Amino acid sequence: MRRDASPSGRILRALSSLTLTIVGLALLMILVAVCTLLQVSMGTHRAVEAVIRTGLVWWTSPGGTRIPVFPGGGLVGGVLLVNLVFAQFLRLELSWRKAGMWMAHLGLALLFVGEFATALMQVESQMPVEIGQTRDYSEDARRVELDAVDATSPDGDTVTAIPDSFLKPGAEIAHPSLPFTLAVREFYRNSSFRMRRPDDPPSPATAGVGPRIFVREAPEVGSDDEQNVPAVLVDARRGGEDLGSFWLSPGMGAPQGLELDGKTWRFWLRPRRYYLPFSLTLKEFHHDVYPGTDIPKNFSSLVRLDDPAAHEDRDARIYMNHPLRYAGLTFYQASFGRGDRLSVFQVVRNPGWRIPYLACALVALGLLWHFALKLSASLKGVR
Amino acid sequence: MSRSLAAASALLALTCACGRPDQITVRRVPKEQIVQPPMGMAMGGAPAPEGAPEGSSAPGVHWIAPKGWKEGPGGAMQVAVLVPPPAHGRAQASVSAFPGDVGGELANVNRWRGQVGLPALADSDLAGVRHKLSCALGPVLVYDFTGSGDQGPARVVAATISAGGKTWFFKLDGDPAAVAADKPAFLRMLEGLTSDAS
Repeated sequence: MRRDASPSGRILRALSSLTLTIVGLALLMILVAVCTLLQVSMGTHRAVEAVIRTGLVWWTSPGGTRIPVFPGGGLVGGVLLVNLVFAQFLRLELSWRKAGMWMAHLGLALLFVGEFATALMQVESQMPVEIGQTRDYSEDARRVELDAVDATSPDGDTVTAIPDSFLKPGAEIAHPSLPFTLAVREFYRNSSFRMRRPDDPPSPATAGVGPRIFVREAPEVGSDDEQNVPAVLVDARRGGEDLGSFWLSPGMGAPQGLELDGKTWRFWLRPRRYYLPFSLTLKEFHHDVYPGTDIPKNFSSLVRLDDPAAHEDRDARIYMNHPLRYAGLTFYQASFGRGDRLSVFQVVRNPGWRIPYLACALVALGLLWHFALKLSASLKGVR
Repeated sequence: MSRSLAAASALLALTCACGRPDQITVRRVPKEQIVQPPMGMAMGGAPAPEGAPEGSSAPGVHWIAPKGWKEGPGGAMQVAVLVPPPAHGRAQASVSAFPGDVGGELANVNRWRGQVGLPALADSDLAGVRHKLSCALGPVLVYDFTGSGDQGPARVVAATISAGGKTWFFKLDGDPAAVAADKPAFLRMLEGLTSDAS
């Protein structure tokens, strides 16, 4: 085969080279090892986000400067995908004889695509529900939203939900549903607060519980048994009129808000909510242990699924390794509490959840095809 | 070259991952019942059921209110409020939780002393006013101060316990006679604190 010596030819050869594959796989192994070790100090989610689901692994210097120190899983995976596709098209013969290899390589490429799809599209949240309680939304404890709730009507509330990506200091949030603007002065991913002392500096908050408390930014935590307590300081304004400055945090239980033109507005900073077109009612929760011990044997929840639009009204049992799949969502039994009266479901929306199954099937079929052909040729040769 | 084009086309097709920019959304929801989420912990916890018969908890700590005490959601910055029977006079207990050490032991002690009109203590005095109980979660530090508040004689029995990176506060305050009568039940509740395992 004639080698193309042009610059583009050399680039194409490099992109499709086996050396690149080996280097990529070696880097992935290092990333997996580092991620596993980091999970001890950072927690699973943050470690995966910092090492695997990122283009570059960053190190923050004591001065706060962020420096890229290693290619992240996203970059390495992307390079391997490019490498695989170019190797496939440039090196692999397009024939029925190689159909198995084509199929296997397509399966491998789909595995990469599946991981990218999961990283980009998967949404995880939790649904804590007590026995007898009905819920039609789940919450993402890792993200928050600022909710401005028009609570005037006795029939229901109108919630304007502002995702945390809007909560940048200096941002001014306006929306047609709001008769005022919300200017973000501070946003802390984690905070600590206490009652104010006489020697504290004046509070920046002028309304709600804010003037009574002292709020400080705290280092973010990430381990699985810790939780950040975000806080935001917002100024509510209408034109030039100052309507008050509020410290809001999921840690502050008090409803805060204002009365304006006969309407009652409440402000919350709380876990991001995903409303469902159906509801679940927890009928029973069972926490079984092995006889004579406290060792858990099984956790199971019996729920009533009610979806009037789909005429669905039935019971479903959710237990370990046996989730409920409905309307593109998967409900896993994740946790429990409150003297076994509370069951917590992990709710996962992953449009690409079938891709890994398809990928594995393609790889298996491709290898089967390829080895069958090889075996057949070998047997013919023996004869 | 046609193969290169094919490879590039395949990549383009494969990398059609589309970002999902956040948007402000407006939705109509059923009237929300205002329930105070636990201080510093309210990320996903469900509200306590009305008249929970066997005890109450917030993520991290589980307690059983003394028999006859009424429990309800707390006010601003409180997890719960417990009201003893009024037979002995005015008294009320509250539960709250804050991230971190909330200014430290001395600051908390002097805040409680200030609430009953007592002068502030120095760091070296703390050992003399600190009592220890133990529960399944570890040591509970208890302080008991009697003085004169804005509305006359007052007593506060306050306890702290660290659990899950937060400091939990259990406080019983009110008329000295009522607090004295309710204190044994309050301390038993503290000794019965357990983890809200999940």
